[in-house]
Amino acid sequence: MISYNVIGQPIVRSDGFEKVTGRAQYTGDLKLPGMLWGKVLRSPFAHARIIRVDTSRAVGLPGVHAVLTGDDTRGVRYGRRLFDVPPLAEERVLFAGERVAAVAAESMEIAQNAIDLIEVEYDPLPAIADPLESMKGDAFLLHPDVNDYVGLPKKLEKVSNVFVTNTWGKGELDTGFAQADHILERTYTTPLVHQAYLEPHSCVVFIDEDQRIQIWAANKAPFALRQQLAAAIGVDEDRIRLNPTYIGGDFGGKGSPMDVPLVYFLALHSKRPVRMVMDYVEEFTAANPRHPSVTTVRSGVLNDGTLTAWEARIIFNSGAYGGFKPGVNLGGARDVAGPYKIPHTFVEAIQVYTNSVPGGHMRGPGEPQGIFAGESHLDEIARILGIDPLEFRLKNLVGEGDVTATGSLYRDVKAKETLEAASMAARYGSPLAMNVGRGMAMGARAPGGGETHVGVIFQKDGTVVARTPILDQGTGTYTTVNQVVAEELGLSSDKVQIIPWNTDAVSFDTGIGGSRGTRVASQAAYAAAQNAKQELLRAASEIRGWDPSNLVLKDNKVYKGNTEDYIDFDFVVQNCGFDIQGTSGIEDREQLTVTAFCAQIAEVAVDVETGQIKLLRFTSAHDVGQVLNPIGHQGQINGGVVQGIGYALMEELEVEDGRVSNVTFGDYKIPTMADIPELRTVLVQSKNGVGPYNIKGIGENTNTAVAAAIANAVEDAIGVRVYSLPITAEKVLAALRESNV
Amino acid sequence: MAKLHVETTINGESTEILVDPQQSLLETLRDGLMLTGAKEGCNDGNCGACTVIMDGRTVNSCLVLGAEAQDADITTIEGLATPRGLHPLQQAFLENAALQCGICTPGFLISSKSLLDSNPNPSEEEVRFWLAGNLCRCTGYDKIVRAVLDAAKEMKAGN
Ligand code: FES
Ligand code: FES
Repeated sequence: MISYNVIGQPIVRSDGFEKVTGRAQYTGDLKLPGMLWGKVLRSPFAHARIIRVDTSRAVGLPGVHAVLTGDDTRGVRYGRRLFDVPPLAEERVLFAGERVAAVAAESMEIAQNAIDLIEVEYDPLPAIADPLESMKGDAFLLHPDVNDYVGLPKKLEKVSNVFVTNTWGKGELDTGFAQADHILERTYTTPLVHQAYLEPHSCVVFIDEDQRIQIWAANKAPFALRQQLAAAIGVDEDRIRLNPTYIGGDFGGKGSPMDVPLVYFLALHSKRPVRMVMDYVEEFTAANPRHPSVTTVRSGVLNDGTLTAWEARIIFNSGAYGGFKPGVNLGGARDVAGPYKIPHTFVEAIQVYTNSVPGGHMRGPGEPQGIFAGESHLDEIARILGIDPLEFRLKNLVGEGDVTATGSLYRDVKAKETLEAASMAARYGSPLAMNVGRGMAMGARAPGGGETHVGVIFQKDGTVVARTPILDQGTGTYTTVNQVVAEELGLSSDKVQIIPWNTDAVSFDTGIGGSRGTRVASQAAYAAAQNAKQELLRAASEIRGWDPSNLVLKDNKVYKGNTEDYIDFDFVVQNCGFDIQGTSGIEDREQLTVTAFCAQIAEVAVDVETGQIKLLRFTSAHDVGQVLNPIGHQGQINGGVVQGIGYALMEELEVEDGRVSNVTFGDYKIPTMADIPELRTVLVQSKNGVGPYNIKGIGENTNTAVAAAIANAVEDAIGVRVYSLPITAEKVLAALRESNV
Repeated sequence: MAKLHVETTINGESTEILVDPQQSLLETLRDGLMLTGAKEGCNDGNCGACTVIMDGRTVNSCLVLGAEAQDADITTIEGLATPRGLHPLQQAFLENAALQCGICTPGFLISSKSLLDSNPNPSEEEVRFWLAGNLCRCTGYDKIVRAVLDAAKEMKAGN
């Protein structure tokens, strides 16, 4: 292994000081002169015709500067790819929580009073919340014009509420099933859950004297947002500038334009800067939560445990709009078939419009849903065959040269090693008490690709400023850039300061997501640092008249070859007469041939009287490349696992009559410090990764298999299976009761 | 609406402010005094992002009225460090990477300070129990527990 000075060290976060002192500025902390408060009136109905909106009393309220209805934004549609979301509803509202009117006023109180003065007359219509109903041929259409929408991947032959379908597979399903000794078919459901970042969506929009649209937004993909907004409102991208801000948590949920298009119109009409912060009730009812799913898996297997066929259909409830997914569908669905060498497969994922809150991305979009179904299913087959689930997986997992169920071929495959490492750390197979069980599940994910830029500028005081267009939403990208630049320039981490760029500075950045942050940022930072270093050496050679090809940067000094003759680098910076800097632009969108496996094992105790599940221990094994920062890396693992525990055991946005009914953190429980079991982590070292340091991603893999591992542990403990998340005490009791009949 | 005149002490400095009668202490701090370190997460007492110390007790400042600050002694995250440097808790949070997005961090630091003020030697169990009212979605909590225990040790050694 190469030895590094800064890479691989538990370096303190670059944004840490600002964050522990309360100085870090988030969008909601920003105050501009003359800034107004934006507020939205939302529909109480899941589906209704809007007959009349009377804003006259709100308009007349002192301190109110703009009142907008669907008439003021008529025809505007936006989205991340599919443009189907209106800033304000026009003829119909399609979910409870949809925006119907908006105001901008001098204070929060006035804005709220103005909202209360707006009268809306609705004609309530029948609503469909269930995607299975909505798929039926005789269901009414939520979007009769879907074929005209910008961004629809493929025109529908017959317009229906199913607006996109993706499929994966190989071989001949019929052949696979014909070979099988056993065929098992089961259906699994997952709930609507919220990302539960603690900073609600917020944005500030202001049209300056040069007519530029200045924006601060809790959005982790500012360049994409600029494109999306420009296309939606019909202005040149150059007119829009996204300004850097800290983002208070994301988990996939902070990539949508959300209220930005609407606040643009409020700023336009009021001619003042406008700030809009969703309150958490709005977050729970009307943001972009994780899609609920219904998945049916049908598998064929031989008596010896060899899988021959795998057919899966995942129905995602998209809610009223499809605009909050950059891929229109959720590609993670294919992971329902997992890293297994199954010869005959077919996986289908569909998105269905319903009258409920639109779904968005959350940590491994589509994967937790698919993996819960697939890995639950595998355990059940193993049990039917009387094979230990560990052995069964080891038999079917891909090894070097094997193609996965949905056709991916990876090199340096560490699937079995990762599972074995998890089983060792979890002491799998050691005796357990009564009603205590262990369960496992696996995931795999290669980091996504993308584009980014980095700038490195030497400062006269001997420090370095590194610029990045990526906004750190908590995962630590600033620290990654810091460490790479420090490493390559031979500096300590505290000599490198990160200053984010606004969207004017570079052409594009893909933004955070798909576990790409470390992959693209580390490469761009490396290239920029190398370029800056060459510039520094060139400047040193000019000052001293040395041959530039034979200089070495070491310990803040530029040495002439291997001699003792040197020049201090700050002297070079101060005296060369120009700015020494290096920039880089990286475009790395290649589909990777290395992936990262994750194997997780849960140990639970179940109280058969009450159905209560107690998670005793949780082990997470990860196949990693070079870990850039062990404490940051561990933070992603712990955070992802704990989020997965919430998904497995407690979280669900409950929908009654199309309305989310648990709208506070008092009712929508997420794990607290008191809910966390002993967490164990094992890292399996792999030599192959991406970029100059051979890295792999970690952000999403930690989260996707947790629920399946827990479901499998519950069955191991008490012999019954729960097919729907979250696995609550009620469901456990019901399953026990059923098994006793 | 008539504003109320409130005299209060914030981070050791006496302050006079005008507040709306129904305005929360959180709004008063953030919008009136530009002390934006306390964060608004849920605004209904369930997340702890807005935690401040008021007369020796931690409160969710979103649930307290600004008017109640009259004659009170309030500590916010902005008052945790001293001119001599960071509070040992802040240092321990940095070293343990007990923060990611940071939005919950001011609340956790303030709650932890109040724990260590009243119980300088907490057990791991006590830390978990005391901080269960503060939500964090990023870290998985483990490192926050370590950081608080480290800070307690550090402070004992320093005394
Ligand atoms: S904002 Fe006060 S408890 Fe959440
Ligand atoms: S660090 Fe993000 S919520 Fe705690």
